[in-house]
Amino acid sequence: MVSKADWEIAPIHIDPDTTEKLFFTDHEWDTIEAAAARIMPTDHDPGAREARVIVFIDRYLSGIDYLYAAADGSGFLQLADKDAHAARARNANMQRLYREGILELDTKARELRAPSFKEASDQIQDEVLEQISGAPKPVPVSLTSREVYYSRLQGNTDEGKSFFDTLCLHVRQGFYGDPVYGGNKDQMGWKTVGFVGPKSLKDTMDGTYSTAEFFIQEYDWEDLVPGFKHSQDPTSNQQQNGQ
Amino acid sequence: MKRKMDPVDVVIVGLGAGGGPAAKVLSEAGYKVVGFDKGPWLRPEEHYSGDELKFQNRSYLWPDVNLMPRTVRSDDKSEARIFNFSPVPSNVGGGTSHMAGWMPRPRVSDFIFHSLHGELEGASLADWPYRYEHLEPYLTKVEWSYGISGLAGADKGEGFRSKAYPSAPLPPTSFGKKFYEGSNKLGINSFPLPMSHLTEGNALGRPAVNRTSFWNQYGDPTQTRSSVATTYIPEALATGNFEVRADSFVREVKVGKDGKATGVIYIDPSGLEIEQDARVVILALGAIESARLMLLSSSNKFPDGLANDSGLVGKNATFHEYIFAVGLFDRDMEDPLHGWTGNYQSGGSTHFYETDESRGHIGGGIIATTQIGQAINAIMPGRPTWGQAMKDADRDYFDYSMKIGFILQDMPQETNRVDLDPTVKDAWGMPVARITNKPHANDIAMSKWQIDKNQEILQAAGAKKTIPVYLGDEFTGNACHQQGTVRMGTDPAKSVLNEWGQTHSVENLFVLDGAGFPTALGVNPTLTIMAHSWRCADYIANIYMKGRSERLNLSPIKKS
Ligand SMILES: Cc1cc2nc3c(=O)[nH]c(=O)nc-3n(C[C@H](O)[C@H](O)[C@H](O)COP(=O)(O)OP(=O)(O)OC[C@H]3O[C@@H](n4cnc5c(N)ncnc54)[C@H](O)[C@@H]3O)c2cc1C
Repeated sequence: MVSKADWEIAPIHIDPDTTEKLFFTDHEWDTIEAAAARIMPTDHDPGAREARVIVFIDRYLSGIDYLYAAADGSGFLQLADKDAHAARARNANMQRLYREGILELDTKARELRAPSFKEASDQIQDEVLEQISGAPKPVPVSLTSREVYYSRLQGNTDEGKSFFDTLCLHVRQGFYGDPVYGGNKDQMGWKTVGFVGPKSLKDTMDGTYSTAEFFIQEYDWEDLVPGFKHSQDPTSNQQQNGQ
Repeated sequence: MKRKMDPVDVVIVGLGAGGGPAAKVLSEAGYKVVGFDKGPWLRPEEHYSGDELKFQNRSYLWPDVNLMPRTVRSDDKSEARIFNFSPVPSNVGGGTSHMAGWMPRPRVSDFIFHSLHGELEGASLADWPYRYEHLEPYLTKVEWSYGISGLAGADKGEGFRSKAYPSAPLPPTSFGKKFYEGSNKLGINSFPLPMSHLTEGNALGRPAVNRTSFWNQYGDPTQTRSSVATTYIPEALATGNFEVRADSFVREVKVGKDGKATGVIYIDPSGLEIEQDARVVILALGAIESARLMLLSSSNKFPDGLANDSGLVGKNATFHEYIFAVGLFDRDMEDPLHGWTGNYQSGGSTHFYETDESRGHIGGGIIATTQIGQAINAIMPGRPTWGQAMKDADRDYFDYSMKIGFILQDMPQETNRVDLDPTVKDAWGMPVARITNKPHANDIAMSKWQIDKNQEILQAAGAKKTIPVYLGDEFTGNACHQQGTVRMGTDPAKSVLNEWGQTHSVENLFVLDGAGFPTALGVNPTLTIMAHSWRCADYIANIYMKGRSERLNLSPIKKS
């Protein structure tokens, strides 16, 4: 068995501008690109289309070669044994989900008298997405309404989600994920929301990338923690009193 | 035919927070120790970086639910479904390889919960078989060897401490500063919670903290966040007495005719089944998996699972659901809060830790303001999921929201438990852990009161809108804290372990993770797990291995 600690790195790099399709057919590519552009639209900031979310999704669906970038971004990890097995089974399901989902997008678009989803107007595309999501198109966040939520798992995998929810999650991932995976071209997604991310994954490994500048630079614990008295030497062996 | 390895003094199963200190203490005491972990031995400087997709969405470190499933149901009548309940990474280092890093101490009251509160209907409250003062020296040992930063004396309700921290806390983040402002307006004692990293100029002389902000759920490539894989495991190896066997799944603890454990059977990386004999067997697989392995290890002598004569193995499980409130701030009025910066957590409080029955529940816990996360998974409950509304929400609030989380101290209940799933098997062909759990009414009441309090703090800090996230009908295991399952106590009819983590019925079998905790604590458990493991390993090395035994005499509790 090849331990996860020793997975090989395949030195593959993804060109965000590529039009080479590894999984999608031409039609499927255009359809998902169009849907992604309704999910993360373009306005005065770039959207899914400009950030090349489609390349990200195509690579992910193509198999398991693009599942995990090497830590420093120098290529992609080649899974082995049990992990590869489980990942391939998951990928096969994901491929099926997309192929069926794309058929549904077209079917629904034709019911609304468009030739296909990709050729439909923005408005009809939105209507189709509303239908497959089973809910009206989301409205802006209101600061006055009150909602209540319940806890859920940390982390957010695409396991067991519907086609629509999967697509929305993948669009987010392709828009905001590290550019090494093919989306988030030129860090467009990060710039849109103000996330000052690393130039490269490698920069996160050796301290080159840091958020130190965002810490409060001038502060005094005695102000922030009223009633606290700093001892002269913070590492002294002095006994601190409890109740 | 099964292969057999040369016998050793001690076998440790699981090299996470519980296994790490035991490996260090016992190998430093001169015993031959072999440690097993079913996961790989990753190399931080080579395998970890700030890749949100890989660590948070594609579960590079979390167990693959298809390979290591668990099942969950809310009571005996409902059907269990496969769910990644309480996922903790499987690798040398266990949960310490990616944990957020809150390292608060437990409190004096935690150890005498039953004495303080008596019976709570539907719950199984218990005192610990030892007290805070018995653990204090070990809490200090861990703080000073593992490497923890904090501000001694800033938590006004903390128990006695014999030494300050080796390292000062990090500066506050922007959202941390807001948290202090909100708390101070309401007269709430807040302070920089201790964290498992060292800052510049620390007394241990080790490298200072990584400030990439890729923290909770990420591995740390710089190794400046403490992990047992970069502290206790190397220290144990340096003695020459310790061996790590990674990628080795332990599937059974063997028992001899005399009822003592003789060692373990494991499946090595090439798939071979191998026996490893030892004088002492220590389990530290995490409370869910330790209970599972005991149940898997049934024999003629223990038909219902190893050391399970009380029938309690797996029962009284507690999981500490993580709940929180998020505040949205007005970007036209405020400076950005940069909720994605810092080192996950920036300021917290134990002001509402101790019981105040006027709140309508007993117990309490710790709160802290934490990152909302990087851009893919930034936490904003109810964010529109697509379209212009989503894009606007991301743009407006990614930098203008903050979160205050709460570690819910759930009450132990005998019916909340771990047993073996009758149908679902893992990638090694063994029955998986089935979790049965339903919150106690006290848990629901605590959830409501505490999260509403967190909303008040957010409002005092200036939030325009607050969004509560309460405990639901079932635990999701999202805190990834596991306690209880193999209770410690003084009475063998009511507990499985004694005060040294030693099973009452198999004298050379010890369980040294959170499984022994009779109550959940109101703090994150890992510092306590480590100190507890160290204390018990000290006993094994200095008393048990020398053929002696000892019991603690607890003085009666003085009620104030
Ligand atoms: C995202 C996240 C954030 C967290 N943040 C905090 C925090 O801020 N503060 C805090 O106190 N706690 C935190 N925790 C919890 C912390 O990780 C756990 O409390 C701690 O790791 C438990 O220690 P343990 O020794 O019981 O188990 P683990 O650390 O889980 O170690 C158990 C080890 O046993 C191995 N194992 C299991 N079964 C077998 C088997 N059959 N054979 C061989 N090996 C086996 C596993 O692979 C694992 O490596 C966090 C957890 C998560 C997931």
